[in-house]
Amino acid sequence: MSSPSDDPPSKTPQNPVSQVAQANDDRQDPKVEMEKEISSASVFVNAEPPREEQVQNAVRFLSHPKVRGSPVVYRRSFLERKGLTKEEIDEAFRRVPDSNPDATTTLSAVDGQIKSSLNDQQQHPVQVLQSTPVGPAVSTSKVGAISRFRWYHGILAAGFLTVAQVIAAVVFKRLFVPKLKSWIRWIVLEEDVKGQTKKFDTKPSIAEEAAAAAKSAATAAADVARTSQDMLMTNSEEKRCLEELISMLRVQASEMTSLRGAIQKLEVGHSITSRQSTEEHNIKGFSWTTSGQPYANGKVDSDSRSVRSLSPPVSVEPSVAPHPKSYMEIMAMIQRGEKPSNIREINDAPPNPNQPLPNPHLAPKPKPWEIGQGQSRSAGTFPSQASTNGFSIDDQLNGDNIVRWRQPNNTRTTETEIGNEPNFGFPSVATNETLLKRSWVPPQPPSVVMPEAAAAIRQPKKSLSQTDTETDDLKSADITDELQKITKISEMGGSFEANGSNSTHSNEIAPSTDERASSLMA
Amino acid sequence: MPVFKTPFNGYSVKFSPFYENQVAVATSQNFGILGNGRVHVLQLGPAITERVAFDTADGVYDLCWSESHDSLIVAAIADGSLKIYDLSLPPTANPIRSLHEHGRECHGVDFNTVRKDSFLSASWDDTVKLWTVDRPTSVRTFKEHAYCVYSVVWNPRHADVFASASGDCTARIWDVREPGSTMILPAHEFEILSCDWSKYDDCIIATASVDKSIKVWDVRNYRVPLAVLNGHGYAVRKVKFSPHRGSMMASCSYDMTVRLWDYMVEDALIGRYDHHTEFAVGVDMSVLVEGLLASCGWDELVYVWPHGTDPRAP
Repeated sequence: MSSPSDDPPSKTPQNPVSQVAQANDDRQDPKVEMEKEISSASVFVNAEPPREEQVQNAVRFLSHPKVRGSPVVYRRSFLERKGLTKEEIDEAFRRVPDSNPDATTTLSAVDGQIKSSLNDQQQHPVQVLQSTPVGPAVSTSKVGAISRFRWYHGILAAGFLTVAQVIAAVVFKRLFVPKLKSWIRWIVLEEDVKGQTKKFDTKPSIAEEAAAAAKSAATAAADVARTSQDMLMTNSEEKRCLEELISMLRVQASEMTSLRGAIQKLEVGHSITSRQSTEEHNIKGFSWTTSGQPYANGKVDSDSRSVRSLSPPVSVEPSVAPHPKSYMEIMAMIQRGEKPSNIREINDAPPNPNQPLPNPHLAPKPKPWEIGQGQSRSAGTFPSQASTNGFSIDDQLNGDNIVRWRQPNNTRTTETEIGNEPNFGFPSVATNETLLKRSWVPPQPPSVVMPEAAAAIRQPKKSLSQTDTETDDLKSADITDELQKITKISEMGGSFEANGSNSTHSNEIAPSTDERASSLMA
Repeated sequence: MPVFKTPFNGYSVKFSPFYENQVAVATSQNFGILGNGRVHVLQLGPAITERVAFDTADGVYDLCWSESHDSLIVAAIADGSLKIYDLSLPPTANPIRSLHEHGRECHGVDFNTVRKDSFLSASWDDTVKLWTVDRPTSVRTFKEHAYCVYSVVWNPRHADVFASASGDCTARIWDVREPGSTMILPAHEFEILSCDWSKYDDCIIATASVDKSIKVWDVRNYRVPLAVLNGHGYAVRKVKFSPHRGSMMASCSYDMTVRLWDYMVEDALIGRYDHHTEFAVGVDMSVLVEGLLASCGWDELVYVWPHGTDPRAP
C-alpha cells in the first residue's frame, strides 16, 4: 500500500492545470469558460493513448468464432473487464470486420484437408500422396503456433490426418497390393494363354508391356509404401511432439486446478441476485493472450485473471456464504411455486401525486469536509479549482462569484464578507489568513439554496445588514452550530495528511466523541 | 448501546444530514426475496424509538435523505420504483411521489451533496437514472453496464461526477455533462457490490466486492489499486468513507461483521464489530456526529454506537 502522492507522477493533471490556469486568466463570459473546461481533461477521464497490444488482443478475441456468436454487449463487457479503455475497444471493433486473421484461414484449410482426406480413402492412392506432403507441413505450422485454440484444433486435425493416412496406408497395403498382384498375375496368365493363339512377335511385346506395367506398378507401390512409411515416421514424430505439449498442458492444468481448489476452500458470500440468479459464462472459457506481459502495472491480479480465464465454463466464484436457514426455506418455497403466507396486499401508490414539496425547516449544513477543505489540502490546487469550475457550469449566479474569486487583490475583502454568514459555515478570517500563506485555494462556494443569500453576495453593501438578521435567526434555532465549532476545532487540531498520529488522534477524539454522543442521547 | 428490532430484514441504514438523532432504515420482508417492505424513521436517544414507518408493497433495498429538504426521504423499491416520503405529512398522505421507470429492482439511491437538487438510482436493469425531486420523470439514463448496477455514489466535491458499481465487475465514473462513462475501472474479478468516494481526496474511490476485498483506487492512476483491504470472510456488502477522517472507512459484510479501516496505515484494520448474527448489509457513519456508526442486518436489528465502544453493551 502506498500513500497517494500529492503530485501524482502521471501527466494527466499537468496539462489540465495549465489549461485551467489559462481559463482562469481569461476573464471571459462564464459560458465560454464552461466550454473550455469541458474540453480540457478533468481528472475523471482516462487520458492514456490506446495501447496497440491490447487492441490486438481484443481483435484476436473478437475474431474467435465462438465470440462471434455472442451478443455484442458480452464482448464489450469482457474487454472492459480486461482493462481496455473505450477507445481501445472501439478501435478493436472497427478493425475486426476488415482483418483476416491467420487462425481462421489455416483452420478452414485444415478442415478442408480433413474432409478431402476422409473422402478420398477409397480412391486413387495418388491423392493420398498429394495430401501427405501438405499434411505434415500444415501440422508443423500448427505446432509452431502460439495461441491455444490453434493447438486444440491442430491436435484434432493432426489426429484426423494420421488416422486417415494410416487407414489409407493399411487399406492400400492390404487390399490394393494383393489385388494388383493378382490382377497382374491374371493378365500374365491370360496373356500366356492368349499368346499361344497369337503371333509370337506380339507375345513378348504384350508380355513385356505387361511386365513393364507390372514393374512400374510394383515400383509405384514400393514408392507408395516407402512414402507411407516416411509419413508414419513423421506422424510418430509429430505424435511425440504433441505428447510433450500435452504433458506440459497437463502440468499447467494441474496447477490451475490446485489454485482453483485453494480459492474454493475460502468461503465467500454469494452475490445478492438471489431473486433471479443468472450468470453469464459465455466467454469465460476463452483464454486471454497476454504473452507474459499483462499490463504495465497490472500484475496485481494477473494470476487470478488467468485462473478465471482458463477454467471451464463453471463458476469459479468464491463460495457462497452460508445463508440463514429460513432464507433457504423461503427460497425452496418460491421455487416450488408457493408464496410465503406473511405477504400482505399493500397499496403504496402516492395518494396525491401532485402533493407540493414541503418547505425546508432547516438550512443545509456544511459538510465536515467542506469546512476543513482549505486546511486539508496542501498542494491540491487543481481539484479544488476543478470543483469551483464545475460548479460555475450550472449556476450563472455563482459564475459572478467565480470571477470575483479570481481577483486576488479583492480576495481578503470578499472572504471576510462571506465569512460573516454563519449559515454557510465559512472558516473564520484567521483560518483564511493561514491558508493564504500557502498557495491560495478558493474555498468551495456554497450551493445556492437561498437565493436571497446569493443576491446578498452580489450586493456587498446591503449584505452586512441582511446577514445580521440571518445570523440571529439561525443561531437561536440551532444547537448544532456549537457542534460544528467543536468539529472544526478538533479538525484544526488534527492532521489529514498521510501517516502520523492516527492512533493518538483517535484517542484524543474518542473521549470527546463519547461525551458529545452521550450528551446528545441523554 | 441502543438497538432496534425491525419486523423485516434490514437492508440499508442512513443518518439524517439535518438531525443528528434521526436515522432511517430500509427493510424487506423474507430477506428481500419476495414480500413487503418498510421504511422506518428512528429517533435516537437512551433507547431507539420509532418516529414513523411507511409500508411498501415490495421490499425496500436502499434509501437516502434529501440534502435540501430535511423531511424528505427517497426509497429504492424492489419493484423498480422510487418513492419519496415526506415526514412532515402523516403516513396516510405518503408517499408523495412514486417514480417508476426502471425495468427491474432499484438497488441503490444517492442524493447529491454539492448541488443538493438531484439524486441517482442504480437498478438491476443495468442502468443508472438521474432525477430531480420536482420532476415526475428522470432527467437522464446512463446505460452502459452489462449487468446489475448495485450502487451509485455522487462525488462529494464535484457536483457532476458520480461513480457506479456493477455486477459486470467494473466500476464506472461518469460525468452528467458527458454522454457516457468517462472512466472504466476493472476493479475486481467478481461482482462489485458497493463503492464510495473519499470525502477528503476527491480522486480516491473505494470498491467492495464479492471477492471479500475492498480496493482503494486513485482515479489518476487507476491501473493499480492504492490499497487492497483483505480481512472480511465473505462478500463485502457496503463500504462508506468517514465524513470526518480522510482515510478511514467502514464496511459491512456477509461475514456478519462491521469493520473500520484506515488504508494509509500498514495494518489497515482499525476496528471490528461482530454484533450481528446474520449478514450485515447496511452501515453508515454520521456526518453530524463524529465517530457515530449505524448498522443493520438480516437479523432484523439496527445498532447505533460510537466507534470504539461495544454496540451490544447495555
